[in-house]
Amino acid sequence: MAFFEWVRSNSERYLLEAAQREMAAKYLGGEPAAGRESLQEMFWRRLFVPIYRRIPWGVRRAIITAMPGSHRREWGGRAPPEQQNSSTTDS
Amino acid sequence: MTLRIVVVGGGAAGIGAAGTAHQVDPDAKVTVYTDYEDVGYSPCGIPYVHGREIPKFENLFLQGKAFYEELGLDIHYETEVTGLDLENGKITAKGEGDVAYDRLIVGTGFNYADPGIPGTDLEGLYYVKNIRRAMEWDKILDDVKAAVVVEASPLGLEMVTALAHRGIETHLVDPHPWALAEVGDPDIMQPVMDSWTEMGVISHYNTKVEAFLGEGKVRAVKTSEGELPCDLVVICTHKQPNNRLAREAGLDIGSTGGIVVDQRMATSKPNVFAAGDCVELPHGVTKVPIQGLSGSHAYAQGKVAGANAAGGNRNYQPVYVPWGMVAGKWMIGGVSFGETLATALGIPFVMGVAQGISRARYYPDMKMVRVKLLAEPGSLKLIGAQMVGGEGIKERADFLAMAVKTGITLEDLAWMENVYSPPIGALNEPIALAAQKGLASLKKS
Repeated sequence: MAFFEWVRSNSERYLLEAAQREMAAKYLGGEPAAGRESLQEMFWRRLFVPIYRRIPWGVRRAIITAMPGSHRREWGGRAPPEQQNSSTTDS
Repeated sequence: MTLRIVVVGGGAAGIGAAGTAHQVDPDAKVTVYTDYEDVGYSPCGIPYVHGREIPKFENLFLQGKAFYEELGLDIHYETEVTGLDLENGKITAKGEGDVAYDRLIVGTGFNYADPGIPGTDLEGLYYVKNIRRAMEWDKILDDVKAAVVVEASPLGLEMVTALAHRGIETHLVDPHPWALAEVGDPDIMQPVMDSWTEMGVISHYNTKVEAFLGEGKVRAVKTSEGELPCDLVVICTHKQPNNRLAREAGLDIGSTGGIVVDQRMATSKPNVFAAGDCVELPHGVTKVPIQGLSGSHAYAQGKVAGANAAGGNRNYQPVYVPWGMVAGKWMIGGVSFGETLATALGIPFVMGVAQGISRARYYPDMKMVRVKLLAEPGSLKLIGAQMVGGEGIKERADFLAMAVKTGITLEDLAWMENVYSPPIGALNEPIALAAQKGLASLKKS
């Protein structure tokens, strides 16, 4: 697996997992029990996810779009959401 | 000189590409290679034959082989393509050797993610894909007492529902806290999960599959919560792009593992196009590339790739991903992303949620419709939606996809006009109610 595929698949997995824990607490009445963590899991869960969440959306978007992929080639469509604030849930 | 167009793959993308290429340049020689015995059928319909909603597999065929012959498409069935030589404009097909092309379209589809655990070589593990194998499995299902569905993906939801309809003791094993947790929100999925329980499905969430057990044939699934005896396992893991040929040939591959394409479905190499589950496309709202969409996406992309390969000039567009399906006793659907995915990506949003009804409250068979809308703070442009209800979900998902694409706001939706007719629509449209709730939450904050 190439480097960017590795970054994408891991970041997607652990960001989604963190969001699922929040949603489970909000809607299902509790977070899933945490199991034993490998070193790799500790890195992604305890370092990557909190740091990612502290970065403003505009910066995150710039990092994401700097990665190689189809989005870097010619496409039409509307502009991505502008950064409004650092909150993820204004609901 | 006759244009030689070779299509690798006979699924929705490949057949869409071949048919359109032929329409755009009727003189072109269009050759399709497929590993399978058939083309032109709906694999998405397979779970519904298993569930007995559709009486026979033959109903899933859109056209017979004679149709494509008469059309002038040269389809090579059960012929594996083993290599792509993009520098010299050739492919290698098993039993045929090198075949030259002027334009190549790659539509190699997907593979299910390998569970990566012991026992994947056992008999009794079913990967839903090929209709001929599905016909064989359907006969086996007559004698199956207990089945385990691995992962609550979209196909997993359909297969759980189908097996329960069939009266088979069905276990769903999924590592996430709720079903379809990579796409759907828990409040949207709750009615589906409750209805499965009513149908006798035994769900095991937050549970990992650790091994398939048996001697020659599967007899149980070992999970993090214990063993589940079974006669059959349906593997419904994530769809991964089937890109071995593309990688070996040197086509650019993106971070999703999908082939990199532009709006013309052109790849990084001249005269080579790609479409369907093997490519990645930018999401319309975030511009983040995504992969593994629906058959309708693959077919439409194939048509664009086919037209351009034949000398036309068509553009595909970033995707907003309207989706919908029946799961358990409910319809679910949405567009773009829901609360879970937006939270994962860290996209700021405001949200409005409301529960309405599908028809006038006094009209027979009126159903609940729950709508959740996500909008961009400030502009209040819609960026995503999710729904669950008894009817009308698909139509709302299609409408909301256009609403996201065209920049419609919560204000627009809150005071939208809507059809009111007792048998088909309520006085208050649930989408409008959800938008009004979203606006009201802003005033409170």
